[in-house]
Amino acid sequence: MELTDADLLARVVLDGDQHAFGELVRRHQSAVRGLLRQLVRADVELADDLSQETFIRAYKHIRSFRGEAKFSTWLYRIAYNVFRENARKRTELVGIDEEHLAGEADPQTVDAGLRHDLMSALAQLPLPERTAVVLCCQNGLSHDEASRVLEIPLGTVKTNVLRGREKLKKMLAAWSNWR
Amino acid sequence: MNDPLDELLDARFREETRYIDDAGFTNRVLQQLPDSPSAVRNHRSLVIFLSAVVSVIVAYFASGEGFFVRETLLRAGTLSPLTVIVTAAVTGLVMTTFALWAALDRTRDPLL
Repeated sequence: MELTDADLLARVVLDGDQHAFGELVRRHQSAVRGLLRQLVRADVELADDLSQETFIRAYKHIRSFRGEAKFSTWLYRIAYNVFRENARKRTELVGIDEEHLAGEADPQTVDAGLRHDLMSALAQLPLPERTAVVLCCQNGLSHDEASRVLEIPLGTVKTNVLRGREKLKKMLAAWSNWR
Repeated sequence: MNDPLDELLDARFREETRYIDDAGFTNRVLQQLPDSPSAVRNHRSLVIFLSAVVSVIVAYFASGEGFFVRETLLRAGTLSPLTVIVTAAVTGLVMTTFALWAALDRTRDPLL
């Protein structure tokens, strides 16, 4: 039987079990790295560095997690804070790595162009809208969960998602007849 | 009827949530973990505690083996009852405020 996140957390907190924490990392690394890749606009190396920092910080403070939110929500919150601290340190945010995006696009998929355009459009959104759209539309968080992660009111999250989506639709209008 | 562009966006976002292969990421994280989650905090607590002990010992010997403590107690004995009560009340209030602040700080949302 597969252990739940709560079981693994209990092992980490009570026994300092690093293998249990490793399993938690394995389960959530994809979501955290995916979120950070979107936030840093596809700079994979930076996103992975920030992801590592996120999990290390989570481990150091794991005793302060009281299960009031889902573990993944807690991780997203840490990831977002790590990202904000890093962004503050840099004088300017990293731009889109066009070469990387082009390299990532699967040449066998006919809609690689749409994917590229969507990522480019997403990267052009202001940070609050981009973050809200990525968390809610891509990572599947509810508006309430996103408001906890971003520490902003629920209404602001809804507005940012709506505005972000409208801007994306305008930027991707040329694809409206694509099927 | 749903906006086709909305449907297209939703479909693309679903595809974008594809799984990112671990590729050694977990191992890199595990290699950088401290010995135990509380190791850093415990280490810091030990340093603070030892510093406090050393400071008390140094202060004791530097002040003529606690001369200042005896002197303070003798002076306190000459104070009026009202002064003693007010001092005790203010001290109690300050201590209670700090204790409440510490308690609230420990119970706040720990989402870092």
